[in-house]
Amino acid sequence: MKQTFNSRDPLYLQVVRQFKEKMANGQYKPGQEVPSRRELASQLGINPNTAQRAYKLMEEEDLVHTGKNMPSKLTGDLKKFSFVRQELIQEAVDQFIEVVKSLGIPLEEAQEELSRRYQVNGKASESDD
Amino acid sequence: MIEVKQLKKKYGKRHVLKDISFQAHKGEITCLIGVNGVGKTTILKGIMNLTPLNGGMVEIDGKPLTSERYEDITFIPDTLTMMPSMTVKQSMDFMKDYYRSWNPKRAEDLLTFFKIKKEERISDLSKGNKAKVNMLLGLALDVDYLLMDEPFSGIDLFSREQILSVFSSHLVEDRGVLLTTHDLTDFETLVDKVVLIDDGQVVREFYTEEMRETEGKSVVDVMREVYQ
Repeated sequence: MKQTFNSRDPLYLQVVRQFKEKMANGQYKPGQEVPSRRELASQLGINPNTAQRAYKLMEEEDLVHTGKNMPSKLTGDLKKFSFVRQELIQEAVDQFIEVVKSLGIPLEEAQEELSRRYQVNGKASESDD
Repeated sequence: MIEVKQLKKKYGKRHVLKDISFQAHKGEITCLIGVNGVGKTTILKGIMNLTPLNGGMVEIDGKPLTSERYEDITFIPDTLTMMPSMTVKQSMDFMKDYYRSWNPKRAEDLLTFFKIKKEERISDLSKGNKAKVNMLLGLALDVDYLLMDEPFSGIDLFSREQILSVFSSHLVEDRGVLLTTHDLTDFETLVDKVVLIDDGQVVREFYTEEMRETEGKSVVDVMREVYQ
């Protein structure tokens, strides 16, 4: 399945981001094997050099481990998984706060609206599946 | 690496190529972009010595391009040049007889990849399938560099998708690809490097990921700056 990418942000960072999202939402499990660079490139419709660069960054961040002549695997370290999840939560909340603040909405009102909409949205996406 | 140095080309009094210099590396996809009539095809033909130039030179892996080195490069034109009465198999046999670098195993792989039957006559193929056979005949050669002229022109959406998938596959891996296109739809994510041509000159030469990272611009953004 081809993913859509934003053509103004570096693709390798977008690929890393997709990996992190899947780690956070449980689609990817600790220690799970990941596609080879070539497989990833054709799955996503991206240049193999870009796939390579994304893996390199994830190796540097200790999210992916590659042994010699072995398929790459996601880290088995659960702490890393919860760290990634935490990172994404913070990012989402920060974005929310930024928008809400720029609109001058008080915290209580934003919180109330957040709880209400969260439930409505949750139901809508459940019925989508 | 293919290094193009100060190519010049005149048609009559018109300077089509004034001063073209750029590099295309092995293991990368380099895309020559420019509006129609800007001389992109002439550059490829100039590299292949298919059209006489009025100046400049081409080096491959640091050495001047001599006739023996042409074994390392192939040029895939924008349309299939085989006789329409031939079958796909006959056109493959023709290539096999003509080129030492023909790789029969790779050719078979490509037939499967493109879902083409070799018994089919070229005149019976759809436009999209003709484009795929055209790609197949070039890709099946064991060469280091592939030059392609407008590989997606005038074909249907699904053939286009199949040809696009060539560029993220093992079929071009470790080889250098230099191609021309005027339409980047769905192709931006596949290109390593872009060389923008305007008025017979290279106006921009950049890596797409670097452009996104440092300037936050897509290839189309840069094209807009240059051509509008």
